[in-house]
Amino acid sequence: MAKLQRGGPLAGVRVVELSKIWAGPETGKHFAFMGAEVIKVETKGSLDFTRFDTLTGDINKARGFMSVNPQKLSAQIDIKQRAGVELVLDLLRHCDILVDNLRPGAMERLGLGWDVVRAVNPRIVQITMGMYGNDGPLASQTGYAPCFCAIGGLSSLVGSAGKPPTGMNMRYADSTYGTAAAFAGLVALLHARRTGVGQFVDVSAVECMTTMVADTMMDFTLNGIEHGCDGTRHAEMAPHSTYRCKDGDWISIAVSSDAAWEALADVIGQSGLSTDARFNTLTGRKANEVELDRIVSGWVATRAATDLVSELQARGIAAGKSCNSMDLIADPLLWERGFFPEAAQSDGASRPIVGPGAKISRAAEICDDAPWLGADTGYVLGDILGLSADAQAKLKADGITC
Amino acid sequence: MSALSSYKILELSEGVAGEYCGKLLADFGAEVIKIERPGSGSPTRHLGPFGSGNDANERSGLFAYLNTNKRSIVLDLEAETGVETLALLLDKVDVVIDDHSSGWLAGIGLDPESLESVRPGLVLCSITAYGQNPPDERKYAEDLTVFHTSGWGFHTPGAGHEDIPPLKGPGRFFCNYEAGQEAAMYVVASLFDRESDSRGRFIDVSMHEVMVSRADYVVAQFVAGEMDVTDWRGGFDMHGPGGIFPCKDGFIYVFMATPDQWAAYRKMIGDPEWTHDLPPDWLMKGLTPERIALTRRDLCEWLKSRNKVDAAHEAQALGITLVPVNTPSEVVASPQYQHRKYFVDVTHPVLGTVKYPSVPYRMSETPARVVTSAPLLGKDSEEVLSQLSEGIRTGKGRD
Repeated sequence: MAKLQRGGPLAGVRVVELSKIWAGPETGKHFAFMGAEVIKVETKGSLDFTRFDTLTGDINKARGFMSVNPQKLSAQIDIKQRAGVELVLDLLRHCDILVDNLRPGAMERLGLGWDVVRAVNPRIVQITMGMYGNDGPLASQTGYAPCFCAIGGLSSLVGSAGKPPTGMNMRYADSTYGTAAAFAGLVALLHARRTGVGQFVDVSAVECMTTMVADTMMDFTLNGIEHGCDGTRHAEMAPHSTYRCKDGDWISIAVSSDAAWEALADVIGQSGLSTDARFNTLTGRKANEVELDRIVSGWVATRAATDLVSELQARGIAAGKSCNSMDLIADPLLWERGFFPEAAQSDGASRPIVGPGAKISRAAEICDDAPWLGADTGYVLGDILGLSADAQAKLKADGITC
Repeated sequence: MSALSSYKILELSEGVAGEYCGKLLADFGAEVIKIERPGSGSPTRHLGPFGSGNDANERSGLFAYLNTNKRSIVLDLEAETGVETLALLLDKVDVVIDDHSSGWLAGIGLDPESLESVRPGLVLCSITAYGQNPPDERKYAEDLTVFHTSGWGFHTPGAGHEDIPPLKGPGRFFCNYEAGQEAAMYVVASLFDRESDSRGRFIDVSMHEVMVSRADYVVAQFVAGEMDVTDWRGGFDMHGPGGIFPCKDGFIYVFMATPDQWAAYRKMIGDPEWTHDLPPDWLMKGLTPERIALTRRDLCEWLKSRNKVDAAHEAQALGITLVPVNTPSEVVASPQYQHRKYFVDVTHPVLGTVKYPSVPYRMSETPARVVTSAPLLGKDSEEVLSQLSEGIRTGKGRD
């Protein structure tokens, strides 16, 4: 019986997470948000560095760590010692999924490679995450999110047209990579449920990135076209850009049809614009896009962002503010839909957290914040593994657990 | 054996998000029946990149990519008979995927509100820009506008690039792919649970919420009051000398944040005089514009005589996180991608044999694979619909 009973589609599923930073924890977070019992196995001597927060100075209140580890349990087991690895293997007999994003080869060196893991539990799904994936000539290289984007082909596409690439915002990649891993892991879990056969799931971060621009890749493999930075342009929409408002805010406008353009021209109200033959077809608007953007920019510059979005939406035009961090946390729709659920730590301190990207019927209740280091070691050793108080005390005395 | 081969999915989607979701499931063996409008078929058939060929419905590389392993039937959902046929099809499937605007499903007789009582075993997944029943100021959306309302747009590129207007994400369908991936994940979780209780679920995927949740590491800190919220374009970022820099044949990306990386970097650029006085942990605790500028100056000098692949090898050997910024052709040519067979040859009757991006996961038991290319418009209409009428005549229900 799981320690936390939160319902949801993965109620009854147990996951062990040997993962650090953001991507691996994101995979576990998805499972936790669906009701799985996710146990982070942490080793005091080699903690996830997001547990070290220079501001709070408290490993249990580290901001980055808490962001991506809500609704999980934490067991402190030293996997640098053989007895610790044995404990983890015992735990895996009672688990459905193992997720790791340690350095390539680290799991094998620890004695937690797939051959060992499947031998103790043939039904288990082992998800291994690596920058380049688990094998191949470059598999030993490691990196962070912006590296994934650079290698995977995303960064070269983001920047002003004709200028050196700037890449996506540097935070992009880990959560996407973690989501792809969770999806593949769930497919494997479903297969294991139906057949009793587990499997090894090897996920590549750089390939996840390439998949996000798959159609751009297809233009190369199909037509030999090498795309580069294109600012805010879109081959099949115009206007399609960001524009500065009179208050300094930015809005985005995307016109996807001639009808939407007619509506926009009408709102702008410049004499003759809605009948201007240069702009009444997509081909015309693309051919005259510089002039088109000049007209739209000049008009937007006289307006305030919020009013403008409402006005354009009322006319059926896709528009939205380019939101800064203040806008995000004040977004009424996000609050109304319960996107920021309140979650509490074991000491009762609670705060709003970031919820999942989908709402489902009969969802798991999301109410638990990130675990204190080792808070659930006793539950794992006693309730799951059935170790006596004496045995637990000995493990602690031997420095295997804390 | 394919992991999802026993499941039947009806795809009502006409956009990239829903078609991508269906593809992810079809590539694992699910039988995905795609419903297309008469005449022109799915709108994605008319979006580029286009190959050669005269048939306007069968030239899209985008459609070909998004619809591998699917079947296509033509059905006019604006006609009463079409909706009646749809109802019969619904009796035979496990999952329905849709990506039309909120309210559209109710219009074809599949109201999410009454799903549980009318079709209790069905998993119904709706992907929309802002979720069900959006407010007036969020009714119309495109990928670009969601990218911006989610915060990613304003913070791309990010700190140091405030002179550039907020940009678009890479490609045309960035948020669509993200939402499609999220939807597929929830569909599989729902099927997993359904194995035990035969109950379906309604899945409401908001592309906007998916994108905001992708920035959870920072947004969670903003909303909890642990990190300053501002109107600064660099508000998402970590700061320091890292970034994208030019080299002999293109660009590289370098990441530098730790004392170890700094020590390795000094070694790489020949330990110049000015680095001697800096504290070893300045990247973590002593960032100044001057130090960053000097670091970048010497890095650019070092890069001038090196191409991206050699620079990456040399730097990685010293323990520096430096990687090439690959263009599309370089990704395709990468020995790593070739080793892992990420691009696979698919033969389509009109587009011919072309390399398609596959999936970023390798599975030891049930790998994803492309068995059939994307269907020609209506290719399976006759077979699927005659089976359906046969079923009605012989009184066979769900198989």
